[in-house]
Amino acid sequence: MKTSKISVFLLCLLILIPGSAWGFQSHPAPEGLYAHQMAHIFFLLSMAILAYWLEQNRFTLQRGWRFIQIACILFIVWNLVAFTGHWVEEQIPNASVTGEPDWTQRIDFSSHPLVPLYYALKLDHFVSLPAVIFLFLGIRSLYHESVTRDRGTDE
Amino acid sequence: MNSAYSLAPVWFTDVIGSGLIIVFSFMAVWYAAKLARYQPSNVMWTYLLWLCLALACFGLSRGVGHIAKRFLLLMDMRDVWVALRPYSGGINSIAFVLVASITMFFQRVHKINTAVLIDQKALEKASKEVMHLNRNLELLVRHRTEELSRSEQKYRRVFEGSMDVIFILDDQGRFLDMNPAGLATLGYSRHDLIGKIALQNLFSSEEDYENLIRDIHSEGFVKDRECHLVEKNGSELHGLLSATVRRDESGRVASYEGIAKDITARVHMERQLQRADKLASLGQISTGIAHEINNPLGIMLGYTQLLLRDHKPGTQIHDDLKTIEKHARNCKTIVEDLLKFARSARTNKTLVDVNECLTEVNSLLAHQFELDKITLRTDLDGLIPKIVADAEKLKQVFMNLMVNAKQAISGRGEITVTTSIEDSANSVRISIADTGCGIPHQLIDKVFDPFFTTKPVGEGTGLGLSVSYGIIQDHNGRIEVESRQGKGTKFVITLPVEGDREQATTEQKF
Repeated sequence: MKTSKISVFLLCLLILIPGSAWGFQSHPAPEGLYAHQMAHIFFLLSMAILAYWLEQNRFTLQRGWRFIQIACILFIVWNLVAFTGHWVEEQIPNASVTGEPDWTQRIDFSSHPLVPLYYALKLDHFVSLPAVIFLFLGIRSLYHESVTRDRGTDE
Repeated sequence: MNSAYSLAPVWFTDVIGSGLIIVFSFMAVWYAAKLARYQPSNVMWTYLLWLCLALACFGLSRGVGHIAKRFLLLMDMRDVWVALRPYSGGINSIAFVLVASITMFFQRVHKINTAVLIDQKALEKASKEVMHLNRNLELLVRHRTEELSRSEQKYRRVFEGSMDVIFILDDQGRFLDMNPAGLATLGYSRHDLIGKIALQNLFSSEEDYENLIRDIHSEGFVKDRECHLVEKNGSELHGLLSATVRRDESGRVASYEGIAKDITARVHMERQLQRADKLASLGQISTGIAHEINNPLGIMLGYTQLLLRDHKPGTQIHDDLKTIEKHARNCKTIVEDLLKFARSARTNKTLVDVNECLTEVNSLLAHQFELDKITLRTDLDGLIPKIVADAEKLKQVFMNLMVNAKQAISGRGEITVTTSIEDSANSVRISIADTGCGIPHQLIDKVFDPFFTTKPVGEGTGLGLSVSYGIIQDHNGRIEVESRQGKGTKFVITLPVEGDREQATTEQKF
């Protein structure tokens, strides 16, 4: 009864107080970055949850799953690094980087206080690559453990 | 102080790191695929494969994007990179979401996998139990089969080896099976009996059979029921029968199982003993009476003969005295017969050829037999030894039996006289059989009783068989009777070969 009354009220409000009513909403440039940042947060949360589940379900007693848990933690760190990097990149001026777009480019640390942090965050592969390597090691270990266990059972 | 720092480390880290991420992420995919192939039933490995594929997509999109950016900018193709950048970023974002989405399914997949593993373990356990049971079942079945086989052999041996008649009947009373001893006892072959003859056909009395079946149905069994069975050759067999009925689930008769013991010999023996006891008692009484009557009879005869001297023949008194003398002599004969029955009469035993005695009796009776259209067959064994006996008394016995046989035959008939040596060779067996009317079952035990006769009054004293019995007893022999009403009667005399040979020899000398 109450719900129907509210519905009738809202319908009257829309009819009596009309505004701009466009068929679709435009999405300017920052939305892409926000979506990307949200994807990083989603990725981070999923990795955190996975790491927690692995711990909770005692998967980490196995070497392979322990490696995968480490990979999860590294991915969490990487997502934090990347998220921060994207944010910092938006804060510092484009003029901070000079030179041709190759390995000879330079960045001016004095152009903005966040440039050194930006420089450090740009080296995120030092986190993401170990994360992928631990993932690989974890799965390889799980494979070898399975094979070894089965052989042990057979014998 | 120069505050511009080279971005070369970033540049090279970006390129090399991206490449390595692609390589390692695909190596992870490769191992995950191997794992999934190795244990396809494990859902977790499938999940890991999907996670690795998503991460490989992420690594590929990011790595390719980063490398492309570096090289496009290096080759002064900023416009191209500007065009590709949104796609690279977009794909990269989708890859994050994809990886994250797949990751979120971990718990669900784990639960499914756990459930599958629990079910799999339960199945394996059940399978092991089934296999265990199967193996045990085979073992159990084998052991049980062996036990059954042993049991079957055991009971088969009992069935085959029993000397009693063991039989199984169907619901209609037809024979389903009978042990060899049973077949031998009844004289049937398996082929003749099984499925063709019913127990009813073997009963001499329909009433006995009906009573038996009624009692089995009401009680479920009968125990030690005396019955008269008829062998294949027509002989009657005294049986002691125990039987049970087996019913199916609906309560209908499925079969009958029974055991019958042949007690014919025992019954005969008992009857003989009873008869001997009875006749012995009768003999004692007869002896007493005979002696008591004999003396007055002698005096009566003596005085009658003295009076006859005083009266001439033809006178009334002489005729009356003759009548007295005749009847007194009849009485004396009866008394003498009674004494013979009671074995009180004097015997004169010598070595006697039984065949000669029989031949003499036969020659006396042959003419009469011929007139009465009775065929006399003799089958005398010439090898039988002489026996110690009173020849006259033996002839009297043979005469009695053959006259009786002749009287039992109305119209044409046959009398068969045979002699043989008993299996033990210690006795001679004389058999006199006729094809007459036979003796009723209820009278067979009375035939040797003194004064028992089925003849009309005046035609017989009923002492003939009693006297014969007494004579044979006096010779330490046996006289037995077998008879089937309507078929005939057979008297069998068994006399010992040895015995009073010394006494006979001595008597002969004197």
